[in-house]
Amino acid sequence: MIDPVKTLQAKFPDDTGTVEQPSVRRAYVDITAARVKDIALFVFENLGARLVTMTAVETTRGMELLYHFSFDLAGIIVTLRAIATMPEPRIDSISCIIDGAEYIEREIADLFGVEFVGHPNAVRFLLADDWPQGVYPYRKEYRGKYPYRTEEELDEVREEMRRRWAK
Amino acid sequence: MTVKDGKQLGKLSRWALKKSPWVFHLNAGSCNNCDIEVLDALTPKYDLERFGVTLVGSPRHADILLVTGVVTMQTLPRVLHVYEQVARPCLVVAIGACANSCGIFDGSYHVVGPLDKVIPVDVYIPGCPPKPEAIIDGVVKGLSKL
Amino acid sequence: MFLSEVLMYIGLVVVFPGFLFTAAIGLAAVWVDRKVSARIQWRVGPPWYQPIADIVKLLSKETVVGQNSARFTFLSAPFIGLAAVVVLATILWMASICPATGFVGDIVVLLYLLYVPSLAIIIGGSASGNPFGALGASREMKLLLAYEASFLVAVFTLVLKSGGILSLGGLVEYQQSYGPMIAQGPSAIIAFIVTLVYLPAKLGVGAFDIPEAECELIAGPYTEYSGAPLAAFKLIRAMLMAVLPVFIITLFAGSAWNPWAILWFVLILVALIVFKNTNPRLRIDQALRFFWGPLLVLSLVGIALAAVGL
Repeated sequence: MIDPVKTLQAKFPDDTGTVEQPSVRRAYVDITAARVKDIALFVFENLGARLVTMTAVETTRGMELLYHFSFDLAGIIVTLRAIATMPEPRIDSISCIIDGAEYIEREIADLFGVEFVGHPNAVRFLLADDWPQGVYPYRKEYRGKYPYRTEEELDEVREEMRRRWAK
Repeated sequence: MTVKDGKQLGKLSRWALKKSPWVFHLNAGSCNNCDIEVLDALTPKYDLERFGVTLVGSPRHADILLVTGVVTMQTLPRVLHVYEQVARPCLVVAIGACANSCGIFDGSYHVVGPLDKVIPVDVYIPGCPPKPEAIIDGVVKGLSKL
Repeated sequence: MFLSEVLMYIGLVVVFPGFLFTAAIGLAAVWVDRKVSARIQWRVGPPWYQPIADIVKLLSKETVVGQNSARFTFLSAPFIGLAAVVVLATILWMASICPATGFVGDIVVLLYLLYVPSLAIIIGGSASGNPFGALGASREMKLLLAYEASFLVAVFTLVLKSGGILSLGGLVEYQQSYGPMIAQGPSAIIAFIVTLVYLPAKLGVGAFDIPEAECELIAGPYTEYSGAPLAAFKLIRAMLMAVLPVFIITLFAGSAWNPWAILWFVLILVALIVFKNTNPRLRIDQALRFFWGPLLVLSLVGIALAAVGL
């Protein structure tokens, strides 16, 4: 049974940083953000892993993007941790390699404001069409509630809706 | 609302509406727990068909609109659209803590408000999620309001 | 004289044996179907007045017409279908109660009238201006093209077998002298099997619940309907559930106006309910392949046997 972490470190010695392995089945590997496409290609194709999901966290180091890969036969989930620098985080998109990452990257782009370079369809996904541009709800700087709609705004929505759905 | 063309219903219509309520389920931004409980209520264990309740696919066939979830900015026009399409007389039931008041999503981004800010509600069923027994109890109380 | 005749005809069509009588039997058949299906699923099932409550409730709801629908066609399609089913029921019952009132060719009239409810569904679905309605209408069209061919061949097998009697009343009288049609030989048995397969396809139940595929097509052609037109569609469905078994009984077992017919009706209903509860829905291409493949071949074998004299 191959050890995925060691194989990854052997293949990319300059681009893999610290490895945390809190348990047998879980490992976190820091990688450089610029090489994420090559590393993802290697892990997905050569090592045969499966992308479980992608998550993002805003930390003091920057915007961390976590790619969770599952090695089903080896019984371990390896998380690749890439840091995209704030204030405008940008990273390569891996949806050309893994088709399933397309929707996940759109979701992260909507909620965190990360720009995925080379994404085939980077339009608004989860948030409503009239949500203001440039306001990212999951960032630390987003504070306070979005106010309840007043009656006038609700009437405006009803009018707009009637105009849009009527012939 | 329980009037048709602005008039109150006659006795025969009221009897028929009580005995054969057709249900349409609408998810207005719910986490899906309330939807699962609504689905449970429609399984053979609770056998709602003996009260004449059928789940219909089209809002135009519905007598009871079961709405779950807090109304978000994305679903606001859709909820209004479906409510306009339901054939009157119709009962609106808000299921779960999120539809009654905003539940745990109060003050969150993207939230417009609870359901009664958007459409007139007849029955409120609290719970997170409410048990199928609670949903049935609420719907029966709403029908006895007719 | 003339007025009393007109009143008598109106009474025949509206009260007995036309609209009210067939609607009563049809709603009872719908209730039996729902109750027995519930019992099969270890449930209790609805009370006896449930189908009546459904129809009355639908009549007291408002009728909403969408902006995209063709208003006149949309509203009149179900009532045209209902009118056709009422006339069909009247002619059918009169052939059993009073066989001498038939005329040559009334089997052909009945077969044409059986098309009209399906046409009403197609036209109503297309006139809704709703993509689900259009999809449901197109599926109903494809299904109609599929099952009608084998059924026509089966009916004409019986016409051939009885020596060319093209009137339903004449067929009833023939069976009174020679015994029930189903005992006349293997070609009649093949025709009976084909007709039994046609029954759920016409009603749209069980494996052939393709046009109104709930959860798949929202409500198919009925998506935009509400209120009285929807009640008319439900009544068409209920009355077809009464009319089609009576048609089968008249074709294969003699007059439907005798006590044994009740037993036949119950048996056919039981077969329909068991079929409905045990078979999942087919895809439209699977249904087409089934009807134009094995079933058409079977019915052609039947008519060939009848031509030979078996």
